[in-house]
Amino acid sequence: MSFLRPASSSSKAAFRNTTAIRHYAGKPDTSLGDPKRENLRRALYPSNIRNRPTPVGTWRPDVARALQRAIPSVQAHETIERAWLLHKRHVRKQREAELSRKFEKMREAMDELYKLDSQLYLQANRADDPRAKSAQEMEMAKKLKVSEVRTMDARIPGLFPRELKVPTDTPSRTGWNYDYKPFQRPL
Amino acid sequence: MLSRHVLKRAVGCSNAPARRAFATEVVPPAASPPAPTPPRSKKADKARISTAIILNRSPIITKSQTPFETAFYSYQARIRRALSNPFPHDFYFKQGSLLQTRFNMEERTREKQAFGPSFLPPEEVDAAKAEADKAAVEQLAQQEGEGEELAPRTHEADLKNDVKSLDRQGQRNLYLLLLAEENGKQVWRFPQGGVEKGDLLHQAAQKDLFAECGDHMDTWIVGRKPIGIYKPSPATPEEPQNNVFFFKGHIMAGQVRVDGKSIKDFAWLTKEEVGEKVEKDYWEVVKDILSDF
Repeated sequence: MSFLRPASSSSKAAFRNTTAIRHYAGKPDTSLGDPKRENLRRALYPSNIRNRPTPVGTWRPDVARALQRAIPSVQAHETIERAWLLHKRHVRKQREAELSRKFEKMREAMDELYKLDSQLYLQANRADDPRAKSAQEMEMAKKLKVSEVRTMDARIPGLFPRELKVPTDTPSRTGWNYDYKPFQRPL
Repeated sequence: MLSRHVLKRAVGCSNAPARRAFATEVVPPAASPPAPTPPRSKKADKARISTAIILNRSPIITKSQTPFETAFYSYQARIRRALSNPFPHDFYFKQGSLLQTRFNMEERTREKQAFGPSFLPPEEVDAAKAEADKAAVEQLAQQEGEGEELAPRTHEADLKNDVKSLDRQGQRNLYLLLLAEENGKQVWRFPQGGVEKGDLLHQAAQKDLFAECGDHMDTWIVGRKPIGIYKPSPATPEEPQNNVFFFKGHIMAGQVRVDGKSIKDFAWLTKEEVGEKVEKDYWEVVKDILSDF
């Protein structure tokens, strides 16, 4: 019935968009208020229209150009790769050779010890149990103060001491600690 | 771990005929029945056991990169930058903030360094705004102040070549060498000493180290097994053969204090420097025990 309009209604009336937008289900206006939500939304749901690099970088238009600048040629790249693998191999072989020399010396020493004294050999082969407290440690624990007992317990036989530091890129500003106060530890 | 029946055989049957296979072996003085063994020379009966300690100061700083490694890593970094996504600065920085401006400026210089100055399109900001941004970033750098000063990788002990210093040659392994006086001769050797009765080898090693170098050091002997053996030819044929077992130790703090009586001097040396100082036959044994770098 609304189609039939009287001829007197103005033709200048705006042509309203009559596709049914349910205004309660429209997109909220995101230009006001906190841009954080908008940033999060854009980061989590990037568009897939490839017209510029996306904020989260799911697509970059100048990859080919950048690669052309970075890599001189296919042959050069392969040569560099082979040179690197060769270098790694040299380092690895050197390390393995050094370890095998050290192990050979250790084996020789243990063989000689076996020939010399079987008791010492047996004791050398025995593994330290980190959980066990030796008799000497128990005796010392009775005589020392509580803080000293804790210092003694901190060095566990059979485990690496925590003072063995991993090397860093620059040394410490204070340098080596020459003023170490001696602490008698159980052997 | 040795199984129980192997232990029983080794400990309980110490005088079993199986041991007779070694002709030069030491006969335990306590309660051994006189077994019909072939006649042995006197010196073999009383072979001496001593322990020595190779005290190591591990590297303090990482190894320097070779020029090839540096070149390769920067090449790989360029490829990674070309292939990887551009940094989402819109997400991580507040829009229009000074930190974002600073980051974008730095990123532009990094891209220019990686791909060349003509790679990036020229910025579409007017000159005045660019100037203002640069000034603001400089002011920010001044306000933030200097960062913490990092210690240099070469210590002054390197420049002075102070061999007693434990800060020298931070990248290398340093080993403790003592200048001992034996029979009137001065020899450079590792700390050494005898084994007392009832001591295990690694315990004797620790005691010998403290006896010769003082106990003002935080040391740790690695495990219970020796890492090498040195058998010097005895001075006179009647003297028993001395067997010196080497043990590895680490020093974590402190310094050596020599008494000056039998030990005159000490030095912390790298492997090559040790090779220059010790005797030839000693070096033949020790060179395979020390670390190359």
